[in-house]
Amino acid sequence: MAEANQLFKEFKIQSVSEFFRRNAAMLGYTGKVRSLTTLVHEAVTNSLDACEEAGIPPYVRVEIEELGNEHYKVVVEDNGPGIPEKYITHVFGKMLAGTKAHRNIQSRGQQGIGISGAVMFAQITSGKATRVITSTGDDEIIEAWVKIDVDKNEGKIVKKEKHPNPKGWRGTRIELEVKNVKYMRSKQGVFWYLKLTAIANPHAHIELIEPDGKLIVFPRSSDEVPEPPVEMKPHPKGVLTDDVYRLAKKTRRNTVRRFLIGEFSRISDKKVDELVEYIAALRLIKTVQDKKLQEQYYQKLMEGHVKAVLRAFRGYTKVVKQVAKIMEKPPEKLTWHEAEEIVEAFKYMKFLAPPTHGLRPIGEENIEKGLGGILKPEFVTAVTRPPKVYSGGIPFQVEVGIAYGGEIPAGFDLYRYANRVPLLFDAGSCVTTQAARSIDWKRYKIDDLDRAPLVLMINVVSVHVPYTGTGKQSIASVDEIYNEIRLAIMDAARRLQTYLSGKHRRLAQVKRKKTFEKYVPEIAKALSVLTGEPEEKIKEYFIRFIESRFASPEVEEVAAEEVAEYA
Amino acid sequence: MPKRKIHRERPKEKFSYDPKRVLKMLDEHARKILEDIKAGKNPHFDIPMRGLSNVYFDEKSRLIRMGDKLSRRYFLNVAHTRKFMQTLLIMAYVKRLVSEGKHASLREAYYANKHTIPGTRENTFEDQRESDPIIEDLERMFGVLREEMHITADRRGYIYGDIVIRDGEDEFNASKLGSGGWAVPGTVEHIQFPEINVDYALVVETAAMADRLIEEKFPKKENALIIATQGQASRGVRRLIHRLHYEEGLPIIVFTDGDPYGWYIYSTIKQGSINLAYLSDKLATPESKFVGMTMDDIKKYGLENVTEKLKGIPPNKKGGPTGDYKRILEEMEYPWFQNKEWQRQLKLALKWGVRIEQQALANKSLEFVAKEYLPEKINNGDLLP
Repeated sequence: MAEANQLFKEFKIQSVSEFFRRNAAMLGYTGKVRSLTTLVHEAVTNSLDACEEAGIPPYVRVEIEELGNEHYKVVVEDNGPGIPEKYITHVFGKMLAGTKAHRNIQSRGQQGIGISGAVMFAQITSGKATRVITSTGDDEIIEAWVKIDVDKNEGKIVKKEKHPNPKGWRGTRIELEVKNVKYMRSKQGVFWYLKLTAIANPHAHIELIEPDGKLIVFPRSSDEVPEPPVEMKPHPKGVLTDDVYRLAKKTRRNTVRRFLIGEFSRISDKKVDELVEYIAALRLIKTVQDKKLQEQYYQKLMEGHVKAVLRAFRGYTKVVKQVAKIMEKPPEKLTWHEAEEIVEAFKYMKFLAPPTHGLRPIGEENIEKGLGGILKPEFVTAVTRPPKVYSGGIPFQVEVGIAYGGEIPAGFDLYRYANRVPLLFDAGSCVTTQAARSIDWKRYKIDDLDRAPLVLMINVVSVHVPYTGTGKQSIASVDEIYNEIRLAIMDAARRLQTYLSGKHRRLAQVKRKKTFEKYVPEIAKALSVLTGEPEEKIKEYFIRFIESRFASPEVEEVAAEEVAEYA
Repeated sequence: MPKRKIHRERPKEKFSYDPKRVLKMLDEHARKILEDIKAGKNPHFDIPMRGLSNVYFDEKSRLIRMGDKLSRRYFLNVAHTRKFMQTLLIMAYVKRLVSEGKHASLREAYYANKHTIPGTRENTFEDQRESDPIIEDLERMFGVLREEMHITADRRGYIYGDIVIRDGEDEFNASKLGSGGWAVPGTVEHIQFPEINVDYALVVETAAMADRLIEEKFPKKENALIIATQGQASRGVRRLIHRLHYEEGLPIIVFTDGDPYGWYIYSTIKQGSINLAYLSDKLATPESKFVGMTMDDIKKYGLENVTEKLKGIPPNKKGGPTGDYKRILEEMEYPWFQNKEWQRQLKLALKWGVRIEQQALANKSLEFVAKEYLPEKINNGDLLP
């Protein structure tokens, strides 16, 4: 057996950056096409977020330049608020740092590793620093080359220049040089990603210059900049012991009671009193030996009869008083076991549904604008469902858009989004795909889904989207989400059905009218022979008759039994 | 030889053909369409429905008759409009034929009206199967024969006997045209009979038998008119039989093979057919009688050796009844075969499983049918109803 000291010679503390350098796949840097898309995604997401927070209608331009074999320069420029000089290293250099990582908030990005991950990826494939040009609109433009010190998990500026800003330009432009990637116009590529992004963000003007110099513009179709999402306090039904324990250490409140009321949503003074009773009841139930009886108590507690459960035990007031003491001590003194008790009690208690003001759906009108503007369909509709909750306390919301016909080619397409971010990978395992395929489309006048000129867009909005893996490209099949998606699709599909049946009816009407008109000359000729009236006159009578019958919205068809014709 | 019981009777109806009637019908119907369209109404034709569901047996007149179910054919109905157009086309064509005194066959009527509809790749008629039913529709709608509309049926059958026929400008005696007799034309509406010197008409199923009778000088000796149908009687022949019976008072006696097909030929002459039920009044002759062949003849004349087996599977065997057996069973259900004599014949046929042809009588001798069989049965009144 080797000496422990011998073994630990090789032991090193790995920095966060070092970890992600070795595990770039976890950030989405796998495959040559996908890596490029991820890179662009991080930069574009940052731009859109920044613009929205500043209330600026985004203008984002992406330029991909081919420098050599699998060697590209990616330029992303926006008209956002710009980055103050002293934050440049933080934004681009430090992993797990950012404005949102630690907050319960709906967000597009990867909790602070996004753009720094991109800088890291560029650095480890090309060895080049990322060039950042930014200005907050004041009198200087900063140009900086940023690198990451992997060992220290720190950004460093390798070169910096300042330029005058006579025209008051404001925004950020970053240039990343990457190798080992590939530009392709596939459904996992940059073009497709930007197209889907443009659809979900109709307030953004997005441009792309492809390696061959071709300019593609996804113009803005809405003037309304969405409100940035707001932070939401966690709901008691959605927290884990660790959340309570950790938050208790960090809080500035001075009692556990204040902490619970202040840091969670839907907890009031009265709820804390109730919580005390529940914790006491749970403690008492655990003392019962008889398993069957214990089961009955749990059942009663679940039904809300906490007082009845307490009264079943002699001297229960003593226990209640003990528990009540927990609520009055400083939160940092809260023990892991106590936190565990609190979370367990939450499971038996009833709370109001979590607030949903933090959710920022795209909105029906904007989805219709986005789909309409980019895809140019003949029909478009959207449904935004009211917020719902999954696994007890995590609010989410589902939106669905349907675009049909027009310039959409035949073949069903599903555009998946989570918090407005297009999901391009792992479609098969995604709850959105499952829900879309579970719909009986024939019911909605789509006889052959795979040949219909149909685009279905699904956006799942939540402070915590349950992804299936670290790649964040596929949403887990949570029953509540699955059902909401289905309901939304069916709602939208019903409108499509109405449209299609109206269209079919109109087409059929035109066809029928033509059938009748076709025979008029023959009929007129024959009737002229038979009656001696001039042919032209007779023709007029018939045409006028047809016109009058088709002028009314629905032509009365002769009742079926009356017209029974033999074969 | 017993005294003849059958001879010519008094006429029951007058010759009825009047071309003005067809023209009037055409005019009435066309005017109504025109009035409707002027008034903004959806114009239509009321056409008596065809098919078994609109056919019944009239016990009183003993005819298959058409019921009063109508089907409406509208202009403004996608399923009807093409037929509506075709109906008017044929009506206009009939008007031209009748007013110009010309006749056309069904096929000519089809070709004359077939053309491409301007501005389309569609023809007014794609097939004769489209024009024939329209002509039948008009017959039913107007209650006139297509012959009256100058559209002729197939010609089949001939007559031989001492009657004078006037056909247009020609006048001749049907016993002076050689052994072939006078071929019955497609339409017999314009035929007149200035002179009739026969006592009755014998309708014969097969040409071979008719030829035999002519050769044996049966028409002359028995004072009979031979009408050869050559299988199922054509409309012309049926109409001729009808007219000879009702307008000239000739009794009608039918002579067919002793098998389901022969009996059906008789049944059609007598009561009319389901297909042409709407014309029974003009085509059927319920007073006609049946001379043979019958099942009794086999025993009576010792013809057991010259019978043929019925085709198909008998009803008591597995898979049966089929073929002739099935046909006989169907005929047994016909209202006009609901009498003792016929039921007995049909039952015997089933029991013995045999059929007997007219020509089987030649087994006795070539002259037998003309000299013994027919005169005996007819003069004795040994006939089936």
